Amino acid sequence: MPTPDFAFLPDFPPPLSALALFGLLLLAGLIGGHLVRRARLPAITGYIAVGMLVGYTGFGLLTAELLVQARVFVDISLGLLLYDLGRRLDLQWLRQDRWLLASGVSESLLSFVLVYAALAFYGLSPLYAAIGAAIGISTSPAVVMLIAQENRAEGQVTERALNLVAMNSVIAFVIVTVLLSVLHLEYQASWVNIVLHPLYLLAGSIFLGVAAWAIALALGRWLGKREERQFVMLVALVVLTVGGANMLQLSVVLALLVFGILVKNFDRHHRVLPLEFGVRAQLFFVVLFVVTGASLDARYLAVAGGAGLVYVAVRFVGKALGVMLWAPLSGLRPKSAALLGLTLTPMAGFAVVMVQDVWGLYPEPDVQALAVVTSAVVLLEILGPVAVQFALRRAGEAGAPR
Amino acid sequence: MEPIRFTPSPPYTMGVELELQVVNTRDYNLARGASDLLERLGRITLPGAVKPEITESMIELNSSVHARHGALLAELHAMRDVVALQAGKLNLAICGGGTHPFQQWAEQRIYSASRFEYISDLYGYLAKQFTVFGQHIHIGCGSGDDAIYLVHALGRYVPHFIALSASSPFSQGVDTAFDSSRLNAIAAFPLSGPMPFIESWDELNAYVAKMYRFRIIGSMKDFYWDIRPKPEYGTIEIRVCDTPLTVERAAALAAYAQALAQRLLTERPHRPSRDAYLVYNYNRFQASRFGLRGNFIDPHSERHLMLADDIAQTLEQLAPYAEALESRAPIEELRRSVADEHNDATWLRDAYQRTHSFTDVVRLQARRWAGREQ
Repeated sequence: MPTPDFAFLPDFPPPLSALALFGLLLLAGLIGGHLVRRARLPAITGYIAVGMLVGYTGFGLLTAELLVQARVFVDISLGLLLYDLGRRLDLQWLRQDRWLLASGVSESLLSFVLVYAALAFYGLSPLYAAIGAAIGISTSPAVVMLIAQENRAEGQVTERALNLVAMNSVIAFVIVTVLLSVLHLEYQASWVNIVLHPLYLLAGSIFLGVAAWAIALALGRWLGKREERQFVMLVALVVLTVGGANMLQLSVVLALLVFGILVKNFDRHHRVLPLEFGVRAQLFFVVLFVVTGASLDARYLAVAGGAGLVYVAVRFVGKALGVMLWAPLSGLRPKSAALLGLTLTPMAGFAVVMVQDVWGLYPEPDVQALAVVTSAVVLLEILGPVAVQFALRRAGEAGAPR
Repeated sequence: MEPIRFTPSPPYTMGVELELQVVNTRDYNLARGASDLLERLGRITLPGAVKPEITESMIELNSSVHARHGALLAELHAMRDVVALQAGKLNLAICGGGTHPFQQWAEQRIYSASRFEYISDLYGYLAKQFTVFGQHIHIGCGSGDDAIYLVHALGRYVPHFIALSASSPFSQGVDTAFDSSRLNAIAAFPLSGPMPFIESWDELNAYVAKMYRFRIIGSMKDFYWDIRPKPEYGTIEIRVCDTPLTVERAAALAAYAQALAQRLLTERPHRPSRDAYLVYNYNRFQASRFGLRGNFIDPHSERHLMLADDIAQTLEQLAPYAEALESRAPIEELRRSVADEHNDATWLRDAYQRTHSFTDVVRLQARRWAGREQ
């Protein structure tokens, strides 16, 4: 049979390949980041804005299908960021300044309690209110790390902020996971699910992190202190851990945080070099925020914008109070403490993922709760980066821009 | 300009100023933290004083005035421990050393923007080297004329202080081949080097007045001489030392200067001469480049010998003075160091040999400063 003419041509329109998608996202982010720089806004805000423009909220060019394709880039960026963040959780510092540990615990718990009260006030069921509040415990590692990096910020507010973010990410994850078993209970799942699902998530993710740490120490010793080799080793291990967590349906967040925390605190012979992905992984971070912006559905604002605003406000109060409570004992000036509270405002883009995961577990979830939490995330993706940049600059910790 | 008056102080009392590095505990690069640290220290009663410096990654410890090495060392220990404890609460570490091994000056967030611009406009590429850390030793003098005599007489021993304190072999991520690369940075200042040949306090006043009329200087403070009189304290100030890696070495250097000063002012072995300065820069270079193994030309006997040998002989001459000043222990410590041809620069190079990482070197430096590793 003769081949029909023009069979060599692709379908029209040709399906977008993952690589072309990556390139386009990168270009879009670049343009957005450059445009907002003139307004002295953080580049991240530009990436998110462009994302929103092409995503659900805007023209809808980035369909759900494409977002799934882009998920792999998002996971890699998150993995790199979370490893860096884990390395910021310095147990020795927490031993030397116990008040810092106290602020981490109290800002987490206070924001949880206040947000829970607000959500309950809006008539959410206690369980969904608790899950919604638990998700709000975590501060976006991506926003805080990248704003600090973009502004070359360094000093007590910056260092403490990153430590607190690492702490509240771990706390948020543990609480959400515990609440998960309550959720299973609510839907009268079998005892196996109630007990083993959270346990599998916690133990499995921690185990993955421990495995990556053990390999890093062994390989680090063998490779020696060569920056270029160890850099490749760390990227490989981070990507492998992210992939492993996906394959085993474990938590990327917890596994990578554990990996970073262990490398920072349990490497007695200093075999792994203190490398930060930072600027070197910039490409992935641009894509991360464009995709985050695209995944945000600002239409929820119309449904639950007011409640979202209240969520944001009480959460901020909880975090700021939690930090300021211990500031005098920690030797932090009141102004620095207030600014530190402000740096904790951004909510994690992956909070959206957590929300969707939890809300997708059982039919007929509390949609109102979903709407409120999502509105809060949308608001904070817009306000968060600006707030962090303002705080770090105001604290006098920002350097000359790159 | 009013003539400067020299306020006499009890002869052979001593004090030290130590410029210290403030580093982070992640990769041990220089950190932005001096003002937060000083704020904490401000609420604590400390012996001596801790002061800010031009950069956010430097603090300065000032001892009080002491007549004996033992008291000086005890005070430095106490200050070191308080500062290290408070730094730990901010997740910062403190270390000695004349340079930071790998910091990139332009990358630092440690200068205010305007000062950064001013310095790099004025000094161009030299500005890169200006983040250096030194020890200054003050020795009390009874009169301005004694101070001037002592500045000249100590000139011969400048290489001793350089080699015994040298702790800046690394700079900007490379081994400079120098034991004290910091001195090269200091040399960039136009008014550095030895004091001009002035023989009395009155002559000094005339010189300063002239320089003031030329509008080259605003005050005595603008001279960055290797050794200079400090009229308001009634001391001479030795400024060629790198900050050592330990307070023990810092106190020992002060004890050495004290004993030397007493011997020189008591015995007055040589009249100051212009000829003595002919070998000055040669000796100074040898000491900063090769440390204790440098070549030394004795300006009086014109003999060549290894710097370590000249120091060993000097230490021997000082024995009776050290005895009287109760500083036999530090003098013995220096003698051992000279016999082993081992200074802090050697220690730093060994540390790098062992670890192959500048981050690890600074980490070990901080441990050593804190007294947790000998």
